[in-house]
Amino acid sequence: MRMQCLDTKFFTSSTSLAPIQLPSRMETHLWYVIPNEVKSEQLLNKYLEFLPKSEKEHVFSLRGDELQKGALLARALVRTTIARYQINQVSPRSLKFRKNIHGKPEVDWQQIEDWHPQQLHFNISHTKSLVACGVSTHNPIGIDIEEKERKIKHSISSFAKRYFSQQEVQLLCSISDPEIQRQEFIKLWTLKEAYVKALGRGFSGSPFQTLTIRSVADSKESFHLSESSSFENSDIVVESLEDSANLTGDWQFALLELVGSHYAAICLRKDCANKCSHPMKMSVWRTIPLVEDEYVSGTDSVIAVGGLM
Amino acid sequence: MASVTASSVSFAFLSAPTKQSQGLARGLVSLPVKAKSFGPLKLRNAPLRFRVSCAAKPETVEKVCEIVKKQLALPPTTEVSGESKFAALGADSLDTVEIVMGLEEEFGISVEEESAQTIATVQDAADLIEKLCEKKE
Repeated sequence: MRMQCLDTKFFTSSTSLAPIQLPSRMETHLWYVIPNEVKSEQLLNKYLEFLPKSEKEHVFSLRGDELQKGALLARALVRTTIARYQINQVSPRSLKFRKNIHGKPEVDWQQIEDWHPQQLHFNISHTKSLVACGVSTHNPIGIDIEEKERKIKHSISSFAKRYFSQQEVQLLCSISDPEIQRQEFIKLWTLKEAYVKALGRGFSGSPFQTLTIRSVADSKESFHLSESSSFENSDIVVESLEDSANLTGDWQFALLELVGSHYAAICLRKDCANKCSHPMKMSVWRTIPLVEDEYVSGTDSVIAVGGLM
Repeated sequence: MASVTASSVSFAFLSAPTKQSQGLARGLVSLPVKAKSFGPLKLRNAPLRFRVSCAAKPETVEKVCEIVKKQLALPPTTEVSGESKFAALGADSLDTVEIVMGLEEEFGISVEEESAQTIATVQDAADLIEKLCEKKE
């Protein structure tokens, strides 16, 4: 049954859900919403209609309008985006989500009759001022965004010693300018979080400390990381102390600056057939679900920091 | 942030659940007591609450609330109690780590990653702190 019993308001509006093409195998799509741009109560209520009871309850369990709005936008973004990739064969409201064994959210396609979609992977991250959703096909994806100006209350070195690998600790502690050190910390944190989320095993199931993420200068012999150029215009590579095939060489990273205010890290599992390191091909859109999309790759809104084509 | 104020985004006319706290706090058990065998006395419907052992002292809970409020920069009037969930207060993974580090400093303990992962509410944190403090002695 189902699709016949229309959400008529929803399907008749021509601007509501324009279909979009799935990313190709080694490509990622990144969609983001700026909460400040979404002011209409009517629109927010439309978004609310997409959510099942449990998600609505979760939104309202958060403290304060700002948090609730952020959570609502995150659910609306993921639901409308996935629905659009299915060329409107499913509605945002009818999508079902479940968690894998380790708690990573994924789409539960079994619930939708007669529809066998391509393998679609997604991951969401949000801050107070930005909500983002990364999408890929065939390969698990993890994203993490952080405000560039985020202040860390504890010493960076105590953080680093606890969560980062030895090499990373050495690198961070060698940076004398506290502001640059803080920025590099945030970049590294987002990369690691993106990795943890791509892996989908949760914090304690992921080898945070035995994994080193660093950038590689163009010359292959040695790499030189100066204070100012750690993650700029260079590949991002991953090394593991454990030398496990499951971990190293299988994950690809990209780091970018979004709308001048955020660092966004994306981690994508590499295709089995494609082991060599290529910069990640990514398309980025600023969006207001049901209202508008703006392709922003190549504009000032998206500045590649590392690992991107 | 002046352009977006709380009043311009209101979900008031939607049916939002009015209860702030979801269910009982961990460590508390509710038993409805119905005094059927008493004659003319009114039946007592209020649930009795029993503290299951190993719940933390109120002072510990209070301190955790303070640390959480500080880390999340919550206005001092914000109601934070044992039942409060970190995530519901707006804590992300980085905040949670900072909160745990703050608790370690405050109480002189060391929290292992596996344990830190299990902390979802203020009460969880307080209980863990007391457990670790006991171990120290």
